[in-house]
Amino acid sequence: MRWLRFAVFILVVTVLQAAVVDAIAVTARGIKPDLLLILLVFFSIYCDTGEAIITSFSIGFAADIIGASMGPQIISFGLVGTLVAYLHRIVAIRKMPYQALAVFAVSLLAAIISNLLTMLKGEPTINSYDVVFYTAVYSGIVGPFLFLPSAWLMHINMSRFTRR
Amino acid sequence: MRLKRMARKQITLSRRMLFTWCMLAGCIFLFSPQKLTSKFQFAFTHLFRWPLALGRTISLSTRSYQSPSETLDSRKYMQLKNYVATVELELAWERRKNEELSGFRKRNPLENARFAQAYIVKAAAGELVIDCGLDDGLAVGQFVLGTNSIVGCVSELSARTARVKLITSTTLQIPVQVAGQDAVIQGDPRGRVKIPLLAKKYKVKVGDPVFAVPRPGFLNAPILVGRVLDCKTDGEDPLLWDITVEPACRIDRLSSVDVIIMDPQR
Repeated sequence: MRWLRFAVFILVVTVLQAAVVDAIAVTARGIKPDLLLILLVFFSIYCDTGEAIITSFSIGFAADIIGASMGPQIISFGLVGTLVAYLHRIVAIRKMPYQALAVFAVSLLAAIISNLLTMLKGEPTINSYDVVFYTAVYSGIVGPFLFLPSAWLMHINMSRFTRR
Repeated sequence: MRLKRMARKQITLSRRMLFTWCMLAGCIFLFSPQKLTSKFQFAFTHLFRWPLALGRTISLSTRSYQSPSETLDSRKYMQLKNYVATVELELAWERRKNEELSGFRKRNPLENARFAQAYIVKAAAGELVIDCGLDDGLAVGQFVLGTNSIVGCVSELSARTARVKLITSTTLQIPVQVAGQDAVIQGDPRGRVKIPLLAKKYKVKVGDPVFAVPRPGFLNAPILVGRVLDCKTDGEDPLLWDITVEPACRIDRLSSVDVIIMDPQR
C-alpha cells in the first residue's frame, strides 16, 4: 500500500464529500452518495486484511472530521471495514452487482452502528431512517463505478484474485 | 511447518492488536468532550476553507435556481416590489412622525447591533460552518440571519470559524411568537421545522408569520423566522397543534449569512 498516496487521496475525497457532492444530491431531502463509505468497501476488498483495518479506521476518522461529532464513525467504519475484509477472505466480492450490494449493506450497517454510538454519546441522531436507506441505495448504485478509477489512482491491481 | 504456523499466529495476533489499538483510539474520540474533539473539525475546516468554499460555490451554481421574477408573473412581481417600497416609505414616515410627537428619538431596535458577514464554508444536515469566529467578535448563542430572517444560532467557536446550528436542527430550540402566542421552534429528524406543544385553543392558521422573540444581549427586536406551512391536530394528543413552519429563506441556497452582534463595544 502506498500510504502517502492513500492519505492525499482520502483528503481530496473528504473535501469533495464535504463540499461538492451536494451538487449531485437528489430530492428535496438532499440524498447524496457517501464517497468515503464507497472507498471503505473498496479498500476492504482490494487490500490485505491488516491494511484494510488501518484504512477503515482512517476513513472513519475522515468521515467524523466532516461530520457532526467525533467518534461514532471511526468505530462504525472500523468495525464494518474489518468485517468486510475478513468476509472477503471467504466470499470474493468481484462482480459489480455484488460490489453494489456490499456497498448498500455496509452503508446501512455503518449508519445503524454510528447512530447507536451517537445515542450512547448522548447526542441526538441527525439522519432519519429513510435518508439512511436512500443514501445506501444511491451509494450502492454509484459505488462500483468508482472502484476502477480508485484502483487506477491507488495503483491497485483489481484483476488479481484477492481471496486471502 | 511449525515455524510457518508460528509466523501465521504472530500475524493474526498483530492484526488483533492493530484492531484493538484502533478501536481504543476510536473510543477515546467518542468519549472525549465535544469541546476538545471539535478542534480537529475546526482545524480541518480552517485549513481547507478555500477548497471547501470553492466546492460549495460549484455545488450551488449547478443547482437550477429561478429568480422571483421568473417564477412570478412579471406584472405581479413589479406590483409586489412597488408595494414593498411604498410600505417601507410609509414606515419611515410614521417613525418620523412618532419621533416628532413623542419629543424624543426612538431608536431603531437593531441600530446598536453590528452584523458580521460570514461565508458558509461547509453545510451539513442541521448545521453550517462559517468563516468568522472569536476574533470577529462572535459568541455562542448569537443569532444568525440569512436574507434578513433568522436561520440559526452560533453553537461552537474557534478563533476563525464557527459552527451554526440551524432552525432545522433537532438540538436547537428558539423561543418564537406565532399568532400572538409564545412557543418554541425545533427541527425534526426529517429536516422540517416544527412548533411542538402549542394548545389547540390558540387560533393558528396557515401563512401566519413566526417571529423569534427578543432575548437580552442577543436580540432586542422580533425577527421573522418563517411562516406556518401546515397546521393540523396532533396525532398523539388531540388538544395540541402539529405545526410545520416554512423557513423564510431557502437555507440550502445560502452562500453567506450575517451574525447579529448586539452592543459590539462590550
